[in-house]
Amino acid sequence: MGKRLLTCSVMALLMGTGGLAAQETLTIGVADALTGGAAVYGLPQANSVEMAAGEINAAGGISVGDQTYMLDVIVYDDKANPTEATNAVRKLIDRDGVKYLLGFCCSGATGAVASFIGYEDAVMLVGNAAERSITTQGLTNLVRTRPPADYTGAAAGAFVARQGHKRVAVLGALETSFYASYVEAFEEEFAQAGGEVIAHEVFASKDRDMSPQLTKIRAMSPDALLVVGYVEPAAFAYRQATELGMDIPRYGFTSGSEEQFLRVATSEQMEGVWDLRPTELTLQSATEAGLAYHANYTERFGDAPSPSSPYAYDQAWALKHAIEAAGTVDDTEAVAEALRDLQVFPEAVMQYLPVDGKMFDANGQAYTANGAFQWQDGHWVFVEELPSDPAAYSEFLSSLD
Amino acid sequence: MKRGNILLLIVLMLFVALPQLITVKYYLHLSILALIWVIMAQGQNLIQGYTGYVSIVQAGFMGIGAYSSALMSTNLGLPVSATIILAPLVTALFALVAGYPSLRVKGHYFAIVTLAFNMVIFIVLLNLTDLTNGEAGLSGIPKPGNGRGATIDFYDRQVYYYFVLTIAVVMTALAAVIVRSRVGQILLAIRQNEDLVASVGVAAWRYKLFAFVVSAMFAGLAGALYAHYQSFINPEIFSVAQSLDAILAVIIGGSGTLTGPVIGAFFVVFLPEYLRFADSFRLILYGLILVLATIFMPRGIVGLAHDLKTRFGSAR
Amino acid sequence: MTEILQQIINGIAIGGVYVLIALGLTIVFGILGIAHFAHGSVSMFGGYLTFFLVVQQGLPLVLAIAIALVTGMVLGVLIELLAYRPLRNANHINAFIVALGLTMMVEGANLQFFGAEQIVIPTNASRVFDIGGLTLPELRLYVILGAAVLIAAMTIFVEETKTGQAIRAVAENRDAAILMGINVQMIPLVVFAISTALGVAAGVMVGSLFAIAPGVGEGLVVKGFAVLILGGLGSIPGAVVGGIVLGVTEALAAGFISSAYKDVIAFIVMIAVLLLRPQGLMGRA
Repeated sequence: MGKRLLTCSVMALLMGTGGLAAQETLTIGVADALTGGAAVYGLPQANSVEMAAGEINAAGGISVGDQTYMLDVIVYDDKANPTEATNAVRKLIDRDGVKYLLGFCCSGATGAVASFIGYEDAVMLVGNAAERSITTQGLTNLVRTRPPADYTGAAAGAFVARQGHKRVAVLGALETSFYASYVEAFEEEFAQAGGEVIAHEVFASKDRDMSPQLTKIRAMSPDALLVVGYVEPAAFAYRQATELGMDIPRYGFTSGSEEQFLRVATSEQMEGVWDLRPTELTLQSATEAGLAYHANYTERFGDAPSPSSPYAYDQAWALKHAIEAAGTVDDTEAVAEALRDLQVFPEAVMQYLPVDGKMFDANGQAYTANGAFQWQDGHWVFVEELPSDPAAYSEFLSSLD
Repeated sequence: MKRGNILLLIVLMLFVALPQLITVKYYLHLSILALIWVIMAQGQNLIQGYTGYVSIVQAGFMGIGAYSSALMSTNLGLPVSATIILAPLVTALFALVAGYPSLRVKGHYFAIVTLAFNMVIFIVLLNLTDLTNGEAGLSGIPKPGNGRGATIDFYDRQVYYYFVLTIAVVMTALAAVIVRSRVGQILLAIRQNEDLVASVGVAAWRYKLFAFVVSAMFAGLAGALYAHYQSFINPEIFSVAQSLDAILAVIIGGSGTLTGPVIGAFFVVFLPEYLRFADSFRLILYGLILVLATIFMPRGIVGLAHDLKTRFGSAR
Repeated sequence: MTEILQQIINGIAIGGVYVLIALGLTIVFGILGIAHFAHGSVSMFGGYLTFFLVVQQGLPLVLAIAIALVTGMVLGVLIELLAYRPLRNANHINAFIVALGLTMMVEGANLQFFGAEQIVIPTNASRVFDIGGLTLPELRLYVILGAAVLIAAMTIFVEETKTGQAIRAVAENRDAAILMGINVQMIPLVVFAISTALGVAAGVMVGSLFAIAPGVGEGLVVKGFAVLILGGLGSIPGAVVGGIVLGVTEALAAGFISSAYKDVIAFIVMIAVLLLRPQGLMGRA
């Protein structure tokens, strides 16, 4: 009785406000690192999902048949920790009744969730987490906007070989598997061009003194250095290399911003360093959607967006389009299928390279262009696009299990 | 004594009825984690509460148990029920190697050396990528039983709950047996005055090593149960921070008691849920709780309850 | 040969930082028998504060360091009075658990005030000296010299001054010290002030030569305790020798054995010393 009364009054309220189509709320969940070391990646992702939801709602929400759904976002902090991420997603699914999960900046936490998401009535959209195995498990209800690290590593290997180097020393966070897979793919391409990786030195995420490793590398006199790892330690590797008087070309895969590097090293110490990475959000190579994203984000959060944050922004829009294509919010299987069928949409900020005309390939993996950036006079300058072959990589990815 | 037994029975029945009382499945998930932590905390309590040595390597041992059980089941194809039993034995071997040098130092320095071992275990788990897959971790770890949809389906969280509950009860009973035995008495004596124990001709180090290894086996078992429940593990979960949580569980619950670790385990698993509003202050709050509890409530919640009982009891 | 010498130079700077941390730990242990685990986080607080004063408030570096040192000393005294003193007569295990709790509080406060991103204290020292193929960055030289001066000052203080003698007397025999009329309530406060000042100095060095971030302090304090075990508990010369040995061992291990396992190798050295010479390299048997 009471319930019916309530429904009636809600109906009346909706009629009164002039809504013709019935309007409902679709709650989506974000699990991401909001605190801790990985918050640098996670927090901007969570922000950008909220921003995208706001924009989608302002543009009239998601229409399914004659229903319109307004998005409501619940955000939980997973601290990039696997147990916390499992708890956060369990809570979203079991308690909050959420079926669409976004965010996911970091590989450990994402891997933990991916290990059980296949059995849930939910769709998971992964962002910045670069570990390859996330999209090799054949999970039909998972897609990822960021390409795996080795996709970029192969392009980087070919690029460095073309610069005429024969002997390259690697220094990096090789215990982190997506960095290791970048190096592995790099090495393969590089070897095909007749090059050789002569050293694999390691630094841990908390190391800030790489001079012992660099001294060892210096004694081997390589043609070039490749630094692979998070920006915080990587910046020290570049600085200490110059301090040890190594004036060989330095390449890297760090995706660090100018401020992050300048906090550690002077611009002179950074001069000429290359960063070989997915193009992501760089103003020089940005499309109209990218420029608008940058402006809106900066206005809304008072801070420039991180280069990788659009991976999450694009998730929200991809979800909108997939739900509309599937014509249902309840049938997650249909929505997951529609995601696999999606074409790249105009709101996308990252520059996706479609495979077979589709944004996500059969593995649920999206690909962006890769770029070579160089530090010149205190700035990262986009020099050229790295030749990448998403179709071939997609096939390779399907061959893994 | 009899009243104690009735109380024990009521608590046990409460635990058995719990899945039926929980409407939101999420809390069942947390309860399973808390029961795993009960085993962890009972182990920590043996070395910390009863023997008086703060070990900061329990999470590392949990990791050894988790990885060895996961690897034995996936790589060697052993049945999960067997690897869960084998995991604590593997952990015990490592604990023997770590315990021998660690126990040559007393008090604070034992704590530091064990902490160093936790760091070593962490670094090795991270870098032994061929075996452990490094930071990305192991996923798809199988569950016990005959897979999905079997008569007893361990993928059903209720089933796993009762599975872990049974083991937690058995391990708590085992801890009780150890504590009440002659060995337990010697451990208590070591906590009171180690020099005195040595002076009467008891080889204290043997008993300390025993307590250390047994506590490691508890942690290894907890790790195996964790691995097969979550189906995913990576080194992150077995870092020093988790060892500190084990210490917290014992202190808050009541060190040197059998009920203390049970209360403490639920405390450390559920407290973060209720501190979400103060997420950024969580570390400060945790630290403050630890400091204040140690200074003002050194016997934990159990001790506090005991004091209150005797106070009201005598007033009556 | 150049490579070995270069690696030794690489190791000495971080070794100097280890020595300063270990000195602070060893005097506290000598007097109070406490493993002051929060020492690393408190030291990093000093580094953070220096960064804040220089970057946000625009103070000159030297003034910022001075303020940080004094603030650190006050913090050290407060920790002794509020956290450790109430447990003076309790079981030693409780003092250690309080130390763990303090670590969480100070780490949490650092995170709250200064954020999760790494900070680097800006200096203008970016020159590099080249001596016969061996390179030595200017900043590393300052760190090594600074550590040497502080070690010398500390030694002179303990050996030559009246307060220093009182500290040694309490460390040797507390009861006898009371009979000699030494104010044993005051000594722990002095010791904590000195200890924290040394820690803050180390924090500034780490913050300018490397970086401060969450977890760095905890990592350093573990290294500091490893130094104590290497050198001998409560021994000042032991802390000096142990710190240098640990720093150089790490550099050589990373350079010649394995960079992934350099910390493991350092701990193995520590365990080996523990087994072969439990009293430490410089400790009395």
